[in-house]
Amino acid sequence: MVEEAEYTIKLPAFEGPFDLLFHLVKKAEVDIWQISIADITEQYLAYLQSMKELNLEIASEFLVMAATLLRLKSKLLLPRSPKFQEQDEEEELFEINTAEELFQRLEEYRAFKKAAHYLRQMEEDQKKVFLRTTGGQKVMVFTRQESVYTIWEGAHHLSDIMQRFAKIAAQREYVPAFSAVEDFVIARKAEYIQSVLEKKKRPLPMKDFVTDSNIWELIITFIALLEMSRQKKVKLLQDKPFGPILVLAGENPPEEGESGEGTAEKSD
Amino acid sequence: MEKEQQKRAIEALLFLSEEPVKLDKLAAILSTTAEEAGRRIRELQEEHLSQGRGLQIFEAAGGYQMGTHPELASFLEEAFSEEVSSNLTNAALEVLAIIAYKQPVTRIEIESIRGVRSEHVLDNLLKRKLIKVSGRKEGPGRPLLYGTTPDFLKYFGLKDLGDLPELEVEEVEKEEEEAGEPENGTAQ
Repeated sequence: MVEEAEYTIKLPAFEGPFDLLFHLVKKAEVDIWQISIADITEQYLAYLQSMKELNLEIASEFLVMAATLLRLKSKLLLPRSPKFQEQDEEEELFEINTAEELFQRLEEYRAFKKAAHYLRQMEEDQKKVFLRTTGGQKVMVFTRQESVYTIWEGAHHLSDIMQRFAKIAAQREYVPAFSAVEDFVIARKAEYIQSVLEKKKRPLPMKDFVTDSNIWELIITFIALLEMSRQKKVKLLQDKPFGPILVLAGENPPEEGESGEGTAEKSD
Repeated sequence: MEKEQQKRAIEALLFLSEEPVKLDKLAAILSTTAEEAGRRIRELQEEHLSQGRGLQIFEAAGGYQMGTHPELASFLEEAFSEEVSSNLTNAALEVLAIIAYKQPVTRIEIESIRGVRSEHVLDNLLKRKLIKVSGRKEGPGRPLLYGTTPDFLKYFGLKDLGDLPELEVEEVEKEEEEAGEPENGTAQ
């Protein structure tokens, strides 16, 4: 952590410009509300200078803060004209126009840094408590309806749902609603398409290869055809979008050993 | 079900469960009231404590969970060393703290407090499931809003968000404060 590293390493790493400013305030042993903008600006710039000398990459945020500090300092130095109300263009990350705003932001950052410090302590405490992990084998599910419900409950990401599903699917008694993968393996479909094409020896519409009326059959057929097309085993023709797809046997079905069974199984 | 039996059943259920179990769920399994189940849990907790057992029951993320006693950490770390996950980075903790106290909060709001871009940190926290996208903010660009998850509570051993220590922000009152005011909490 920063506080400890300070004594061993010349330049501690800071999480951001506020972190660095906060560190400088602490080092000066003054309250946030009593910082001298001139002093802090000087120290801040000195720090950036030493980073530069060490060839450390200075993140753009640090430079934006440097500019902000310099502007605050110059404002304090120049006599204020009461008539002139400055309308500053908004800065990308911080819109800080007065010293008070800077202090306010530093104070807010300090509070969250302290909260983060608490979280670290809680993390350490909690690390000492070991919980049972069985690799997702025992998810407590009381009824089937509930198991389905809990998949969706409070899920905000597709990944949430997928992870929960995986957990439930890992249970032995889980029975899937359909077994698409079992029934329509793409490779097997490809073999089938190949054999039909060899037998008929003429182009066929895609629908001729769809042997069942369910959506999975259609999907598997389509994927199989795409895969075969990639392997140059078939050619696909379609004269307009959403029009019927015509399947032609490939000119030179390459024997790359990609699916040996596909050609081995000749139909008689 | 007899009280002793209820107690044993709760102990067994919590022993097997990886996740905190809500009180009403426990009550439903035991066909009893949440009040009764709560009483059994407290009895169990006392027994574990008074007998100096290796396991303890505690509240986490709105439910009850069984875990090892913190005093045994050194033995367990040795035995299960490969399973100990790495601590969060300082940056991650900062972002988490901001989200925990200000949720729902946008990335820009987080970055403005930290003064640093935090996209990468947010991604990592999402991956660790300590935060989630909790919606979108109405307004230009409808930015994503982030909030903490039950896993966040579990990770830090919190019952609920109210269990977080209070955020100590000193309000401005600059004009009234005297210069002699001691530096409050500036030293961590």
